[in-house]
Amino acid sequence: MRADGSAPGRPAPDGQDARELLRRCARDVVDVAEGIRAVSERTSTALFAPALAVSARRHPRTGLAARWALLRALTNRQGLGGSAITAPKGMGHVIGAAGEVLGRESLAALVAVTSLRLRIAAVLVDHPEFERDPGMRRLTEAVTADKDLAAVRSLRALFRDQGAQRALSGLAPLMAELLAIRALLDEDPKNDETGWALATGRELSADPLHGISAAHLAGLDKGEGAAEAVDLTDQERQAIAPEGSFLGFLRNIEMLSTDGRILLQDVRGPDSVVRYVLQAPGMAPGRPRNDSPQDFVGAWRNLFMTDSPYTRSILLALEDYGIPRGAEVALIGHSEGGIAVMNLAQDEEFCRAYRVTHVIAVGSPVDNKVPADPRTWVATITNQHDIVPVLDGRGAGSAFDPHPHWYEVDYIGPTHEFPLCHMLREYIEHLRTVVPEARERVDEALAPYRGPVVRTQAYQLKDRANPPEGYPFLTLPTTSVPTTAGPVDVPVRYYDSSAAHLCFPVDADAARSLLPDVTWMTPSRLGRRAMAVLSLYEHRCTTLGPYTEIALSVLVDDLWRPRPYDVALDVLRRADLRRTGRYVLCLAVTSEEARVAAAEIWAQPALRVTAEADLMGRQIGVRSPDLGVTVDGRLGRGVRCPEADWILYGRRGGSTIRTLVRAHGRLRLHTGAGIRLRLDTAAAGPLAGQVRRLGLEGARPRFVLACPQFMQHRSAGAVLPR
Amino acid sequence: MVTESPDVTSYDPELLDHVGSLRSDAALMEEYARRLRATAATLDGCPAGPEWSRPVLERQADACGTAAEQLRAAAEALLAHTRAGD
Repeated sequence: MRADGSAPGRPAPDGQDARELLRRCARDVVDVAEGIRAVSERTSTALFAPALAVSARRHPRTGLAARWALLRALTNRQGLGGSAITAPKGMGHVIGAAGEVLGRESLAALVAVTSLRLRIAAVLVDHPEFERDPGMRRLTEAVTADKDLAAVRSLRALFRDQGAQRALSGLAPLMAELLAIRALLDEDPKNDETGWALATGRELSADPLHGISAAHLAGLDKGEGAAEAVDLTDQERQAIAPEGSFLGFLRNIEMLSTDGRILLQDVRGPDSVVRYVLQAPGMAPGRPRNDSPQDFVGAWRNLFMTDSPYTRSILLALEDYGIPRGAEVALIGHSEGGIAVMNLAQDEEFCRAYRVTHVIAVGSPVDNKVPADPRTWVATITNQHDIVPVLDGRGAGSAFDPHPHWYEVDYIGPTHEFPLCHMLREYIEHLRTVVPEARERVDEALAPYRGPVVRTQAYQLKDRANPPEGYPFLTLPTTSVPTTAGPVDVPVRYYDSSAAHLCFPVDADAARSLLPDVTWMTPSRLGRRAMAVLSLYEHRCTTLGPYTEIALSVLVDDLWRPRPYDVALDVLRRADLRRTGRYVLCLAVTSEEARVAAAEIWAQPALRVTAEADLMGRQIGVRSPDLGVTVDGRLGRGVRCPEADWILYGRRGGSTIRTLVRAHGRLRLHTGAGIRLRLDTAAAGPLAGQVRRLGLEGARPRFVLACPQFMQHRSAGAVLPR
Repeated sequence: MVTESPDVTSYDPELLDHVGSLRSDAALMEEYARRLRATAATLDGCPAGPEWSRPVLERQADACGTAAEQLRAAAEALLAHTRAGD
């Protein structure tokens, strides 16, 4: 009988024991996998030994037999496996890589995968909902079965079913295991090292998704860093916690938001000694690269490198703040801020200058880091559904504990949706209600810092080397235009969008009947037909926020002096000199901000609907249940063509509004035979009714102008006296 | 210019080292087979142990056993070749 009352060898009495048993077994199995891998390496070395090559030439009969026996041992499917040959270069490397490309996995990789599957089983003890979720089950099965296509389809299905962010946060506890399995089993031998690092709990030096070197990615982040003391607003000053406490420091960080500021405070402890607290916020999820060090690229560099603009900027702030040498300092950070403060703590020079007593990282991937001063007390707080802490490759199922002396809290929070579960607000709430014992434990450790705050100073950090997002195309002077939904900066900028413009020849009279009832607006003709364009957009990052857009328009002639074939000549002109354009018959968008901007700035007949769009690949699909419109199909072969800058026309009162749209991306002209426009409604509602009147129901476009990723800006509408 | 031909007998110790390494690796593979079977048995007795684990681990243990035999055969073949070079 054991101390816990259970007999050895008997079934585990509860979930925790079962989980521990599975993790222990996973550890044993991955040890075996590493051993097998080492055996494969030694056998490969024997096979390709120069001594054997030379002597085999002298005694070919026995030499050939020896080499054959070694080759058989290395490649037999029932033994060490197909791609067990490992050699850094030469013929051995080629044969080993070929084995992997042909899908013949080595025994070592298969045993490592078994270990990872046991780790997944350990996670499932805590997350039985994963087994019930059909999408997740499909994905797990697909990943373990090494079916790339199936994995991608399952992932897409997950995104469609529940929204990408929810799916990602659902995967978070299993992410490290799934990535490791993919890396070990996929056909790309370059991913192997990443897979083995994830499987065996070694430090990652590369992107867990694609094995991209962290050093390469970090090369994008070359800012020298800068820090400038800034004043807090009156409202912020009132929100600052007057006493030092764990939750008080976290609330300060939350108050700072993620606009590139950090906070430094003097706290007088119970022993009347003044100590210093650095509070560092993280990266805003989904925010584009910007000129502060708290951006995604900066976070990536922070994760794998000890030095980054964020860390350098903090050092400059500390220097300016004037913390005396040898003073006691506590470092507290959320998300990327947690990584940055951990980077400081592992800097020997920094630890010689200051006595780093505490490092507390909330929602941060810091497992790859170790403080330079062994006396530093480290606490990490992570929600198992938060995907960010998994970025260091140590997920909930990890069989390894690299820091047994740290205070680590990895809890299952009630919030599953990412990025909500990564928000500091959620962590603060969970520390109050879900894991109050963790808050108490950290407060206990922070006892020397639990006293009145005697000085507070915020610093704005800058990363001067990063150009602004979208530079230079989207670096434009802007003006603020008031709308009923608040001020909108124009030109409106689109940092990351996909588009497909479906071009249909239509009856000219039908097109004319949909245009405003004025004599001077006529549809452009190509031969005897007019041209209608159904534009589909997936805007992932814009100054109006992300949204999907569906617009039906008709090409129209010069409003003053219409001439035949104007439209063909205009294609050769600069966009700002064009006289023809597209009159927008109907515009459907998925956000209120976009609807208001379209209606009030561009004078387009906009309505808000629900719609889903997938325009990133050759297989495109857009569906709006509200409009009863579906477009799907596969783009045919395409050729590069010049940028699709457009002039859009709308109507406000008795005036026409002309909007210049400039785009920058790799536009391609495709045949439209594989695409079909379908109406799922018999009603003559907006768009559907117009589509029907143009005779486009069930039609295939003549051609499609598509761009899976581009930038765009739309100017304020110019009022024309027409 | 003088070109020296390699002295075959001088490579023998290196090849012999490989023979020794292959033999000890064969023993290691047997040990790995035993450990995988033990893990399979442990998981078999655990209600949370996945159903797939026992057949998978048994299969991989068998592969370890096969690899051990083949490594031993390779060691013998290499030893025979080393002797042929004497």
